[in-house]
Amino acid sequence: MPGIDECLHEAMALPGARGASLVDWTSGLALGTAGDSPVGNHETTAAETAELARAAAEYESFAAATEGEELPKGPPVEDVIVTTRSGYHVIRFVETSFDSSVFLHLWLDRSVGNLALARIRLGDLAERLVLG
Amino acid sequence: MTVSPMLARLAAEHATGALLRDHGTLYLVDGRVVHAESPASPSLDVLLTAGGRLAQEGWDEAVDQAGARSAVGRFLVDSGRLGGGELEICHLGAVFDAAFFALAPASGPTRFRYGVGHWFGTVRPVSTAAVERETLRRRELLDSVWPYAAVDTAPVVPRPAAPGQTVSLRQRALLAAADGLRTPAGIARLLGRPAFHTLLDVRRLAAAGLVETPFDPLPEAPPALPSWVGEVAADPDIALLRRLRDALEAHL
Repeated sequence: MPGIDECLHEAMALPGARGASLVDWTSGLALGTAGDSPVGNHETTAAETAELARAAAEYESFAAATEGEELPKGPPVEDVIVTTRSGYHVIRFVETSFDSSVFLHLWLDRSVGNLALARIRLGDLAERLVLG
Repeated sequence: MTVSPMLARLAAEHATGALLRDHGTLYLVDGRVVHAESPASPSLDVLLTAGGRLAQEGWDEAVDQAGARSAVGRFLVDSGRLGGGELEICHLGAVFDAAFFALAPASGPTRFRYGVGHWFGTVRPVSTAAVERETLRRRELLDSVWPYAAVDTAPVVPRPAAPGQTVSLRQRALLAAADGLRTPAGIARLLGRPAFHTLLDVRRLAAAGLVETPFDPLPEAPPALPSWVGEVAADPDIALLRRLRDALEAHL
């Protein structure tokens, strides 16, 4: 896959997709966005989802499995899923072979979206985004 | 609020060239930001080679082969050294990182050299407005975490964790690199991380008491009162002073 836009474009092709973005969870910067934001502003959504992702990536309880091993390049967490009354949010951490802290965020309409499918496809997209 | 009035003007006129400021340089093509550099932030080759993603020779060869035609980024992808997504992620991160420092408030002159391009080539242009908004957001973010800018430039000195206090993996790597001499910028270069990310983590660690916060130098003493203040009343109005005293005492 050539780049960020193509990756987000593919994510938006999933059933029920309403918005997608690639976000840096240390700074809260949106590196790319597609579709809508639940609050009408992708930058706000990026900053908010980044805080959630950072908490998941940094809390000890979710990292315990790697205790004693060499520091992994990416966070031990694979994804964070939030369900709301009207939608699903899937946050998928992207593992790069240089030091980075990015994730894909996909927002789905709950009545149309398929959470299990979205989770698998997003994981696949995250892998292909960096493998090229 | 704008970071640089000149930047907005250059965007409006779709300018191409290099904006030179005290702490870094922004490269524009057709009024959009395509590259940024600052001595305060690790360059792209440091970000890519520090973690072993790219061998230094691979980088050097790309610069040799494609630098003259300003297509190093393209060459890295086309020669299979880097994925397209990886290049965009790393390059965008480096651009916003360098821009944060380049657009820092500065007293020196801002100059624009028309027509000057960067040898890395265009990857993913961003609007000057987005760069300015992000720079302002980052300044506020740092201060909301721990409003002591002194930790940004001082050597990072770790403090022992309190019993039961946890430190994230990324922060542990940062603390391990803090030898009491390295500044956040030095640690960023060593770990191959963006400098702003390192500043933010250092501020978070300082807020958690895991890194020393150096005392700001004491504010300068206020200037002594000019001598004429004492001379005005060479002939004090005793009657006025008595009335003042009486009035004050009446309110006690």
